[in-house]
Amino acid sequence: MRRNLTALLASLLVAAAPLLTAGSAAQAQNGPLRIEITDGVIEPLPYAVPSFLAETPAAAELANQITRVIAADLSGTGLFREIPATAHISTVSDFNAPVRFADWKAVNAQALITGSVSVNGKQLTVRFRGYDVFADNELGAGLQFSGTTDGWRRMAHKVADAIYSRITGESGYFDSRVVFVSETGPKNDRRKRLAIMDYDGAGVQYLTNSSALVLAPRFSPTGDRVLYTSYESGFPQIHVLDVGKVQRRVLSADKGIMSFAPRFAPDGNTVVYSQAEGGNTDIYTMDIATGARQRLTRAPSIETAPSYSPDGNQIVFESDRSGTPQLYVMPATGGEARRISFGKGRYGTPVWSPRGDLIAFTKQSKGRFHIGVMRLDGSEERLLTASFLDEGPSWSPNGRVIMFTRETQGANGRALLYSVDILGRNLKPVRTPDGASDPAWSPLQK
Amino acid sequence: MGLQTGTKISLAAHGLLVSWVAFGAWLPSEPLPLPVQEVAVISAEEFARLSQQIQAPQVSESPNGLTPPAASPEPPEVSARPETRPDRPIPEATPVPVVDEPVPALPEPEPDPEVADRLSEPETPPEVPALIPSLPVPEQVRPADRVAPVPVEAPEEEVAIDDLVQPEVSPDEGALSEQEVQEATAPEAASDRIVTEANESDEAEPAPPVAAPLTSVRPKTRPRRPAPAEVAETAAPSAPQVEQASAIEDALAAAIAGGGHVAAPEPSGPPLTVGEKDALRVSVSKCWNVGSLSTEALKTTVEVAVSLDPDGRPKTGTIRMMSSTGGSSGAAKQAYEAARRAIIRCGAKGFSLPSDKYDHWRDIVMTFNPEKMRIK
Repeated sequence: MRRNLTALLASLLVAAAPLLTAGSAAQAQNGPLRIEITDGVIEPLPYAVPSFLAETPAAAELANQITRVIAADLSGTGLFREIPATAHISTVSDFNAPVRFADWKAVNAQALITGSVSVNGKQLTVRFRGYDVFADNELGAGLQFSGTTDGWRRMAHKVADAIYSRITGESGYFDSRVVFVSETGPKNDRRKRLAIMDYDGAGVQYLTNSSALVLAPRFSPTGDRVLYTSYESGFPQIHVLDVGKVQRRVLSADKGIMSFAPRFAPDGNTVVYSQAEGGNTDIYTMDIATGARQRLTRAPSIETAPSYSPDGNQIVFESDRSGTPQLYVMPATGGEARRISFGKGRYGTPVWSPRGDLIAFTKQSKGRFHIGVMRLDGSEERLLTASFLDEGPSWSPNGRVIMFTRETQGANGRALLYSVDILGRNLKPVRTPDGASDPAWSPLQK
Repeated sequence: MGLQTGTKISLAAHGLLVSWVAFGAWLPSEPLPLPVQEVAVISAEEFARLSQQIQAPQVSESPNGLTPPAASPEPPEVSARPETRPDRPIPEATPVPVVDEPVPALPEPEPDPEVADRLSEPETPPEVPALIPSLPVPEQVRPADRVAPVPVEAPEEEVAIDDLVQPEVSPDEGALSEQEVQEATAPEAASDRIVTEANESDEAEPAPPVAAPLTSVRPKTRPRRPAPAEVAETAAPSAPQVEQASAIEDALAAAIAGGGHVAAPEPSGPPLTVGEKDALRVSVSKCWNVGSLSTEALKTTVEVAVSLDPDGRPKTGTIRMMSSTGGSSGAAKQAYEAARRAIIRCGAKGFSLPSDKYDHWRDIVMTFNPEKMRIK
């Protein structure tokens, strides 16, 4: 009996042996260890930009100025943080000499930019290289820009755009301009005129005098023309201005009909705008070459502030057809509009992002004004600012930053330009010589 | 037989009179207010002087000396903005204090800057950039803008930034044993989500008071063990470790050189615990900075493989992207570079991993999934 029992147990153990082996094998780890990282940090990336080398004596001052503009561009985004020169261990004395990565790692520089500048008469040449310090290699190939010394700021912006693009993977926005309404004088005698400047507030030039009220300038898709509304005739009418020649002409000259809030279509040949006739405001398009018009909305309510999608197929606009100003999207040829804003408050001045994925807007709620963004269906609304009066958002060419007007309260209140990124970070004023409102950002310059 | 009308009226009137005498006349009623006019007693001379007619001033025929009125200010500017502008809050009017100081004259408006005839463009646009040949690869403080998984309060100014929290240690003059000088360190300040201007007031609101403790006291760190007495015994195990490391490097070099398939040795012993894996995950997370990534790269998940030295340091040359999902190749490249920086930076001092389980963590595949980081 005992012998039989022992034999039975032995046979059971033999039978179970493969299973036990398989179990232990399963418990052991096969292949490499696998982990998933889902939480990271969001902070400015530290970089170093030693002063560019002057290869000719005449280039010494420009080399330093160009370096400073590049640093201001990159640090101004809020995505990068410059490591001050006083913390550098290495010095760069030869543009073609190998970089000592260990020295830059020691100061935690994750990106390094080196460059050289040479001036020959009016000819300016800027060369630069970017490095991924912790990967011990270059950030793409080095580049060389040539131009005239007058254009040194643009060259600095182009270098910064290239570095920005290589690190973030999206295009930059530094070599761009902003057209805006310059405001001077006290509140009861404010004088307004169109002005244009670099995106960072440098090089302001005036495009109109202050004899007539001007509003809402908008760049063409190529940046060569500007649409705006002028009260020169005593009535709001749309003008188009050639930026290079500073020549302007009236687009809509019908007496007794107010036309305003113009914006170019992505093809640059059509203008969408609002027209008030008989106490009713609707949205129209006009062919710039022929003057042919098409009415897109027919409603007793106020329809205004139209803005095309980047592909030109849809238009977002503001309407009070539901009782309060809200945002609607309709086909570019007109037709049924769908409401996209449903939050509490009033929505206005919608602008489609150049990336096509977001719509920026002005919102008034509980006595405060906000600049915000939302998805095309109105979801994921995100308020980026809050103040006494914020309005009129305009997108940077890469769709990462929004510029807008902020007006302060009181008799001495004045309007200034501000910018903020689409996450609500890096809110800061834009430097202008006087008060400023209604900014419109150009595309990147060619 | 009816009464005459006059009799009826007489009876009714007498009835009313009797009723009034019987009831109404006895009820008290409020006396009618007497009109009172205050007067002042004045003398006859004063009355004569007051009643004297005031002579009108003489008006000259010719309006000499008239000065034209000051130019009236322009009518207030009408807000001609056609776009519907939301109502502004109207502040309450406040009494204007009367000040006897002279009103300063408005400054003369500055003349308009000249309108450009033609924009002075820098405008010899830079030529098409030329490529520069690559080089051979040789051997102020901003306030905390940081968004991290766990919020961290701002450290004191003199405290150095480090992952570890360490108090400052300065040697006591009268101490018997030698003490190591240690600088105070603390992690960088961080918030666990992006705070915009629109929601910062929500952030600033104080939390409601609670009686219960909000955090438990963290246990003190275990004191360091004293150094072993005999050094010779501790030196012995390092030899096979070095041999093992060199063997791994040889095998890796052979594999890279195309020396055929080299089977990785099967890891033996117990695998890493969940806590040990979490510690590794947290250490890499601290250096995974997605703040400078494009929105497309923030939608891209990358799998990155890396081999570690026995001391926990990543071998830089072994870091490679295994796969990517959710974005273009360009976005995957940016996402991979951010992941690589995280591994190299936070592994520079060696990841804290149990050395007896080296076989289990020698090769690691890390999946960097930024889904939670898109809008934090």
